[in-house]
Amino acid sequence: MHIASGFLSPPAWGSMAAVSTAAIGVSVAMHWRRLDERKVPLMGVMGAFVFAAQMVNFPVLAGTSGHLGGGFLLGVLLGAPLGIIVMASILVVQALVFQDGGIEALGANVFVMGVIPCLLGAAVRRLWSRRNVGLFADIVTVVAAILGVLAGATVVILLLTWSRSLPGSVTLAHALGVMDFVHLFIGIVEGLASVAVIRFVVATRREAVFAGAALSGGEAIR
Amino acid sequence: MTPYNRNTLIVGLAAALVVGGIVSYFASDKPDGLEKTQEDLGAAQPVHEGLDAPPVAFDEYSLKWLGEGFWGNAVAGVVGSLLVMGLLLGLGHLLRRKRGDTAAREPSQSAS
Repeated sequence: MHIASGFLSPPAWGSMAAVSTAAIGVSVAMHWRRLDERKVPLMGVMGAFVFAAQMVNFPVLAGTSGHLGGGFLLGVLLGAPLGIIVMASILVVQALVFQDGGIEALGANVFVMGVIPCLLGAAVRRLWSRRNVGLFADIVTVVAAILGVLAGATVVILLLTWSRSLPGSVTLAHALGVMDFVHLFIGIVEGLASVAVIRFVVATRREAVFAGAALSGGEAIR
Repeated sequence: MTPYNRNTLIVGLAAALVVGGIVSYFASDKPDGLEKTQEDLGAAQPVHEGLDAPPVAFDEYSLKWLGEGFWGNAVAGVVGSLLVMGLLLGLGHLLRRKRGDTAAREPSQSAS
């Protein structure tokens, strides 16, 4: 879902850059010199894993592929602020080294694939801090992941419309319909894959995931 | 480094390298949801002045001099994963709670 170079107008990418810079600033301030030591390697490898997972495009519908965003599972496992920092780092490497996503569109891409899904992921984080996590958490998590993808897809279309990057003959409702329809299917895959990864990481790295939880989501583990 | 943190690194990095270096070779090469939407809406061409990406050895997710085969993709997946991890370990090191730090003595921290 990376917005490429040349599709956003200066007001659109400028305001998104401002919003995302502020979000990253707040995120850094919230963890400044408070980050639990066990979270450092976790955020490093989760970033590497989400970068790698984004390279795996899976087929959806005819002639279309999708790939994980990963911001949602980062929000669940790391909380919103750290998730946003990790997602922003991934997107910077993708834009500067792999020509994936426009450089001027970085702020928009951080907002769409970082801020939005990380906040939704963080909203269901508490469900996973319980000792026994049941099917309820799985279902709520999948639904929240789908909503995150659809919200991001909607914002992309709004930004493209604001930038006059869509032909005048295309109505906003039509553009949203096309974009959100395909992203509904991508979102379902995102949700299922996120639950699988979250289950594995919570089962094996519970202490790191919920360490110092007062600062990263408001929940305590014992 | 504690064994706990070392194991986090080893298992997580191994997963990333397998997915980015090997599994990604078998990925679909069809346009993604946004690209397809832009094509379907007749909006696939940029209409604004964009910023050029800096010159690098990679041509999207393949190495320029290795082409689009397995190895170009594998190098992109491995190098990209390591770059992201290195960047985040550096950031994490900066954000880490330091011994004797005033922040570390805040009451909210004593419970963890």
